[in-house]
Amino acid sequence: MSGGARRVLEAWSLGVVKYGEALQLQERLVADRKAGRVGDLVLSLQHPPTYTLGKRREKAERNLLAPEAELRALGAEIHRTERGGDVTFHGPRQAVLYPILSLRPLGLGARRYVEGLESAMIQVAALHGVTARPGDPGETGVWVGDRKIGAIGVRISSGFTWHGLAFNIDPDLGYFEHIVPCGITGKGVTSLRREVRDGVELPGDEVIHDQLVRCLGRTLGFTDVEFRDDSECGDMIAAAAARQS
Amino acid sequence: MAMAASSRLLWASRAAAYLRISTFPRAFSTGMCLSPSPPCRRGSYSTRFALLNSVPSFGFQDHLGDVVYVELPEVGISVSQGKNFGAVESVKATSDINSPVSGEVIEVNEKLSEEPGLVNASPYDKGWIIKVKLSDSGELSSLMDEEKYSKFCEEEDNH
Repeated sequence: MSGGARRVLEAWSLGVVKYGEALQLQERLVADRKAGRVGDLVLSLQHPPTYTLGKRREKAERNLLAPEAELRALGAEIHRTERGGDVTFHGPRQAVLYPILSLRPLGLGARRYVEGLESAMIQVAALHGVTARPGDPGETGVWVGDRKIGAIGVRISSGFTWHGLAFNIDPDLGYFEHIVPCGITGKGVTSLRREVRDGVELPGDEVIHDQLVRCLGRTLGFTDVEFRDDSECGDMIAAAAARQS
Repeated sequence: MAMAASSRLLWASRAAAYLRISTFPRAFSTGMCLSPSPPCRRGSYSTRFALLNSVPSFGFQDHLGDVVYVELPEVGISVSQGKNFGAVESVKATSDINSPVSGEVIEVNEKLSEEPGLVNASPYDKGWIIKVKLSDSGELSSLMDEEKYSKFCEEEDNH
């Protein structure tokens, strides 16, 4: 990397955001990023209980093991999306990061970007004494043994990224029993809470989000990470909405 | 309208997917096939475009890996130069495919629904994606030629 150049990643901490709203926000921000109205940024948030299906609709729907009505009765929403990957679940206590980046100035291709997302999750697991690894060939995501702790679903549009990663801090893993997560049968799902050694206390979720963002920033070659808090984010989201209309 | 640029190799523009286009002199004299292709022959009917690696990734070497799904447009829709018309999904990510030319989609490669891996396995033959009837053959001149494209890829790889 050229010496001395400052490369800033902005991090927006958004709290709990419904999946559909986060999607709309990402669409606006990708357009803004393409037009150069915003710089590289990452949305850091959690979703209410939500099942999402990727582009390969038929395959993803086969991996929904319960009828939609039943899932909705559990309090979950169901969304069909444009991202890669199969079916997955998002919910409280799961850290979700949506980086909106321009890959070319970062010198990253799609593969290295995805590896960067995996690496960030592996590094954060390690911070808490958990040894995680990338998936086997043909599998994406991050694993502890044969249990999946983090998922990746990415969309790249002309070199701009959206969607991203989901890292299980301590979500209710029962929700995963109603799907074949990411279409990979025979393997379980786990969380940081489940994997840390007895007696290890986890910090609050916001600390884990912070760690994920910083590890991601460092791994992808950013020199600085600047956090924007709720109030600033509110203004920026309104501004993005206004630009779109 | 003659395909003026048919005597040289044309490569997709920077903003679009790296696609190689085949031209057909007779039945498709105003049309082009957006298709992976074997080594190009020069001549009045053999300018070709190809889908290289997994399309929208910047950097020739950093490809997406095995393609598991190709989202195809419908026959009859219009494509525009530089605009998204479909997507390629690998295990790692889904990438938009952008068209280097404008026109009407006259055929899509249905085989890719069953065998998306053709894009990897046979990028120069069976893994073609769509056929487009050009609306503006003048667009061809805005695309990179082979020399510029090779240089472009080298620069990308040296990041």
